[in-house]
Amino acid sequence: MKLNSRTKFGVVVAASTLLLSACGGGGTSADGSGTPAKGGTITYLTIAEQFNHVDPQRNYTGQDLAFFGSYVNRTLTSYAHAEGTAGAEVVADMATDTGTATDGGKTWSFTLRDGLTWEDGSEVTCQDVAYGVSRVFATDIIVDGPTYAISYLDIPAGDEGSNYPGPYKATAEQQALYDNAVSCDGKTITFKLNKVVADFNYTVTLLAFAPVPKAKDTGEKYDDAVVSNGPYKIESYVKAQSMTLVRNENWNPDSDPVRHAYPDKVVVNFAQDQAVIDSRIIASSGEDAFLVSMDGIQPENLPTVFGDDQFKNRRVNETDPYALYAAINVKKLNCLPVRQALLVALDREAVRQVAGGEFAGDFADGFISPTIAADYAPNKVLDGVQPTGNPDAAKALLEQAKTACPDVYAKATGEGLVYDHPDTPTWAKNAAVWIESMKKAGIVLKPNPIEPGKYYSVVMDEALQGDISRGGWAADWLNSSTVLPELFGEGGFNISQNKKDPAYAAYKALMDDALAQTDRAAQAAIWKKANQYALDQVWAIPTFFGRSQEFRGGNIGGGYLWYPFGSHDYDALYVIQ
Amino acid sequence: MSLDTSLVIEGKSPAQLAWIRFRKDKVAIVALVFSLIIVILALLAPWVCALLNIDPYSLNKTTIDSVGLPNAPFGGMSRAHPLGVEPGTGRDILARLIYGTRVSLIVALIATFITTLIGVVLGIWAGYKRGIVDGIIGRTIDLLLAFPSLLLIISLAPVMQPRLVAMGFPEGNPARMTYIILILSLFGWTYIARIMRGQALSLREREFVAAAQASGAKTSYMIFKEILPNLWAPIIVYASLTVPGYIAIEATFSFLGLGVVAPTASWGGMLADSVRYFRSDPAYLFIPGTALFLLVLAFNLVGDGLRDALDPKGERAQKV
Repeated sequence: MKLNSRTKFGVVVAASTLLLSACGGGGTSADGSGTPAKGGTITYLTIAEQFNHVDPQRNYTGQDLAFFGSYVNRTLTSYAHAEGTAGAEVVADMATDTGTATDGGKTWSFTLRDGLTWEDGSEVTCQDVAYGVSRVFATDIIVDGPTYAISYLDIPAGDEGSNYPGPYKATAEQQALYDNAVSCDGKTITFKLNKVVADFNYTVTLLAFAPVPKAKDTGEKYDDAVVSNGPYKIESYVKAQSMTLVRNENWNPDSDPVRHAYPDKVVVNFAQDQAVIDSRIIASSGEDAFLVSMDGIQPENLPTVFGDDQFKNRRVNETDPYALYAAINVKKLNCLPVRQALLVALDREAVRQVAGGEFAGDFADGFISPTIAADYAPNKVLDGVQPTGNPDAAKALLEQAKTACPDVYAKATGEGLVYDHPDTPTWAKNAAVWIESMKKAGIVLKPNPIEPGKYYSVVMDEALQGDISRGGWAADWLNSSTVLPELFGEGGFNISQNKKDPAYAAYKALMDDALAQTDRAAQAAIWKKANQYALDQVWAIPTFFGRSQEFRGGNIGGGYLWYPFGSHDYDALYVIQ
Repeated sequence: MSLDTSLVIEGKSPAQLAWIRFRKDKVAIVALVFSLIIVILALLAPWVCALLNIDPYSLNKTTIDSVGLPNAPFGGMSRAHPLGVEPGTGRDILARLIYGTRVSLIVALIATFITTLIGVVLGIWAGYKRGIVDGIIGRTIDLLLAFPSLLLIISLAPVMQPRLVAMGFPEGNPARMTYIILILSLFGWTYIARIMRGQALSLREREFVAAAQASGAKTSYMIFKEILPNLWAPIIVYASLTVPGYIAIEATFSFLGLGVVAPTASWGGMLADSVRYFRSDPAYLFIPGTALFLLVLAFNLVGDGLRDALDPKGERAQKV
């Protein structure tokens, strides 16, 4: 899943007056410790103008998945609300168990529990689940979401993608194709897949597999108001202002062994100033003790928050599932020695210091995060790579490039390579570090600051993308099938543009091989190989494996980093009574 | 019999008189010296930094700790880095300040030159010609003054900057600085134009103007040879008071992210970055803020001093 475009970006502070007004106020009594209890209101603050997506089929950022999965949308299976690696365990949610695989893992069936209800009191049926999943195929309306349903379900595909165009446009014949792949028998839903997917019960934890009532589906507008089948329903949602969630009276706790549903009300305030968010929560006085940041802590406030024990129960600092990297536009830099020179020249220690040093994460040696323990193995990084950069080795590689690919060499050392970065003070410093370490090796880098809110849409547009663009990616579940094909294969987040690279064919063969592999251990071995292969080709420069910090006011308890999503486990947060 | 030389009355030009008056204004002299030092530092930035053995771009990683904050107290002040280092990167703040002055001064001086030029020409023309010319220029000024210029500048930036690049300005800093200068010039000339128009209105009724008109002088001759020479004093005063205003505006644009791109230093960019560290590294916020305050104050005081010196009818000048 995508890295939230805010959290690690740092955003321009424009409201210094607000900042000063937030400095007053007295101390706080509550220190963030207590015992879980029901009741009260939790208020979240975020600099974002709105949620990326509210429509479950379009929701694909880790934090939003965690938020809506905790409060609004229930899926067949979901992750356990527990601290540490226990949180990575898949548990039965709407289904009675975590699914039954037959046909060697090519057919999966789930049986719905009794007493599942929508917010209007009507029953959540098997057809609602099937309908929700079918929306993924309407790729003209349901954009930005994960597309595993399209690649996994056994529906024949033509040249233009799936032969099933989604529920809005499908003819009876086309609908029959889908109904054949996803069928209902009473309360049991059966998915027929086009290949063996041994961990399909992880796939269905994604909100893209959440039910949607056909009668209430408003297509594109469903992104503004969704029908809840979880413990809370949306009372109001005004972009750039706030979202209010209130208890869904028709949610039946007996049918939901997963969620705790502690607070009576949940409010999200949008378009806040990051410095103000940090200040208010640091002070945590009066009503501000009930605040939770949705954007972590800004690097400059980390020493304050982690240097003082009064915050010890209110802060979280854990490894998150993200691998951070700088993608290289291989189409433009189709020259391996130049890409290697970039990797060798980069002063990764300085890059890390700008991002918050020890709070930013550990140095990465590849694209598979160690949080995917099964698939992670230390990679052999190119000779000459040093934490602080190695300009001499880079120069030697450039010498090779001079003869091997004179065009790219000339661009890298003359006109300059374009480095895409979000236009914020923190990222301007990051760009400065890149420029400085490349300069030592004789490589010219030109910064290309991009408006933060538009960053991903710009770099994912081939016409607008520069030569080097930073990114961050986490697995959708603990299998690198959700990482490597996405970053450098046929997946949707390939900003390395490497498909025309002669070396791609061998990589694609590895991908196909791994995806077809039914034995998890054998599959892991292929992922390790592919991870090393992508690194050897330097389709991207790994920087570090992320760490995340979360922060909350003194009257909120239960904060920890939810392992699969790298954000607070929203369901676990409660108001200290 | 010899002449008592002390009684000889020397003839003095208006410029000499003004300089004598200016010299007596101690505050203005201090401000002038300070401003000149800053301008010289900016002009000689590479040599000054080389002399002090500091560099605005190199990363001094040993001066910051594992979370990126300066090791030494007061924002990392030390003999090697007199004003401390930038958190996160360890870049020298003094060097960045000196280089940042260049951006501020280039933008402020060029924009002042252009606004003054446009304002003076159009203002005198309107005041001298009256009638339809005055009407058109006057309404244009009203229109521009009514524009919410800051909002326009912010919203037009993403559209205009690529346009400038397409027109041949080098991408990045040149295009961004040109944009700021153009926008400042577009909106800035109106104030001085109004002053010039008023002055020209009164001058055109004077005898020497009537005489020149009677001899058949052309409009351009009237503007540049007859009226303009009488207006140098207000022009110099106005221009000197405009520069500090533009320095502050340039810093505002950089603060809002419209200024130069990384890694070039600018005061507004430093301010925008340092505001975030007010809790963990307050010294860093203090330095660019103080520098901006002092430079703007110094330019303003020089402008005030010039006004007093060049305007003999002014209250303080009469004492001379």
